[in-house]
Amino acid sequence: MQQAKKLLQEVGIEPERVEMFNIGASDAVLFARAADQMTESARRLGPNPLKKPRGEVK
Amino acid sequence: MIIAERKLFEQIWESIKDRKSVLILGCGTCVSVCQSGGEKEVGLLASELRMKSKLEGKEIKIEEATIERQCDKEFFDSIKDKAKEYDAILSMACGAGVQFSAEVLEPVVVIPALNTRFIGVTMDEGIWAERCRACGNCVLRDYGGICPITICAKSLVNGPCGGSKNGKCEASQEKDCAWVLIYNRLKKQNRLDELRRWAPLKDYTTQTHPGRYVNEAYRKPELEAKNVK
Amino acid sequence: MSNSKLKQAFDSGKFVVTAEAGPLKGTEVDEMAEIAGVLKGKVDAVNVTDQQSSVMRLGSMVICHLLKDWGLEPIFQLTCRDRNRIALQSDLLSAWVLGVENCVALTGDLPSSGDHPQAKPVYDLDSVQLLQVIRNLNEGHDMAGNELKGKPDFFAGAVVNPGADTEAAYELQLMKLEKKIAAGARFFQTQAIFNPDTFARFMKRVEQYKIPVLAGVIPLKSAGMARFMNKNVAGINVPEPMISRMTKAEDKTKAGIELCAELIKSLKGMCQGVHIMAIGWEKKVPDILDVAGLT
Repeated sequence: MQQAKKLLQEVGIEPERVEMFNIGASDAVLFARAADQMTESARRLGPNPLKKPRGEVK
Repeated sequence: MIIAERKLFEQIWESIKDRKSVLILGCGTCVSVCQSGGEKEVGLLASELRMKSKLEGKEIKIEEATIERQCDKEFFDSIKDKAKEYDAILSMACGAGVQFSAEVLEPVVVIPALNTRFIGVTMDEGIWAERCRACGNCVLRDYGGICPITICAKSLVNGPCGGSKNGKCEASQEKDCAWVLIYNRLKKQNRLDELRRWAPLKDYTTQTHPGRYVNEAYRKPELEAKNVK
Repeated sequence: MSNSKLKQAFDSGKFVVTAEAGPLKGTEVDEMAEIAGVLKGKVDAVNVTDQQSSVMRLGSMVICHLLKDWGLEPIFQLTCRDRNRIALQSDLLSAWVLGVENCVALTGDLPSSGDHPQAKPVYDLDSVQLLQVIRNLNEGHDMAGNELKGKPDFFAGAVVNPGADTEAAYELQLMKLEKKIAAGARFFQTQAIFNPDTFARFMKRVEQYKIPVLAGVIPLKSAGMARFMNKNVAGINVPEPMISRMTKAEDKTKAGIELCAELIKSLKGMCQGVHIMAIGWEKKVPDILDVAGLT
């Protein structure tokens, strides 16, 4: 995970966009929390810059 | 094996950002073992470059291939023709491989993605250490198998300098003093007396570069005529 | 056989005193001239360092030459860090022509220690080999066996670290000392001593070689300096009581001079002389000698 974040950083993408959570199959609460966290990050960081439609000049 | 490490991403990006199409060419031998330039690393770098390319609003075509090694011409056969279709090849081999790629694929531009570091060994997962400086005159017999040319920061052959502290090198407390290592090894081998011997002056002609090694047993006269440059 | 003033001093049986001077970065030599004025008549010879600590400075050879003009006996320090065997032999011949008769062969600190860390380290020779080279030149031929048109007659010395802190490093220092003597070293200057007992043990091992040893001393300027050296300089071990004394002292300069002088007095009976390394504090050397009773 550290390595993946580092690679994203090198490219210029916020490392918080990717996270790893260890969640047991039946642990709904943890799963919900993780989902909330990532949703919150995504909202705060804004749209993924890589998802710009092709042809749009930055 | 040869240990190399990937260049900083920024440097790699700068060197290919104005290209239209790039083939990232990996090497399956040394750099695969030290996890810098093998198939996996080619894939990772390709992803990074595609992302960066998109972020910068460029449309660089990035493709991947890995061959067994880039220091033997026969392994280029499978990609030679395809490689010529690209604007540039980003080679993830060591310096020797990059040069051979440039020679075999001439006039296609070949760009290095790695910095070749040294001849070394695997100490642990993710850690590689230098062991040999290719001095061309191996004296390991005299030093219990520990190379003073490589491990001693000053390549001293007659004993340590006065900078050895806590068994570590003057250069850094993280580097062992080669001479302390040599002493301890020879002590275990009951060969301490050998350290009293004078080491001869180094002969740097064995390190004149570029080096060339010919084994006559394998030479055919007609090949010799063809290969002489 | 060499007959330099330094050699004569050793031969006379007196307790020899040498000091060290470090050239500055630049072409101004006024400071060196002042130091020479202060040391003249007080010491038997002065070492001039060679790009000390790998910091680029004015060369040892030129200051050695000027010291002669200023009435002092110079010792040309030569390291293996920056010059290959061609340059080293040439510099030795050049130094001789400029009137320099004594030299000390050293390995030299790594470039990474200094202000040009990206420089290429040379180390073509090591200090043992450099001593051999000096002897060969003295005998009238260079390393390739060619005969010289005019030969030097250097009185050559070397260094040793009696404070080496592991069995391996200590035994190796002694082995290297033996090699250096066989290679032509005629005297030794040691790394700074702060413990007479340690030095006594060292001298016991070295007596057999019947070669003059100058005990190195460094005057302390502060407790901080002592702690810094203990932490960063190989072979230096300033004991706590000495550090305490420096901390408690009101007049640090006086304390430093007194401590150094006391050390010299306790080392005097064990060796043939003292080498005072007071880089940056050269002008205090006469005071140290006064208190040590060596004037």
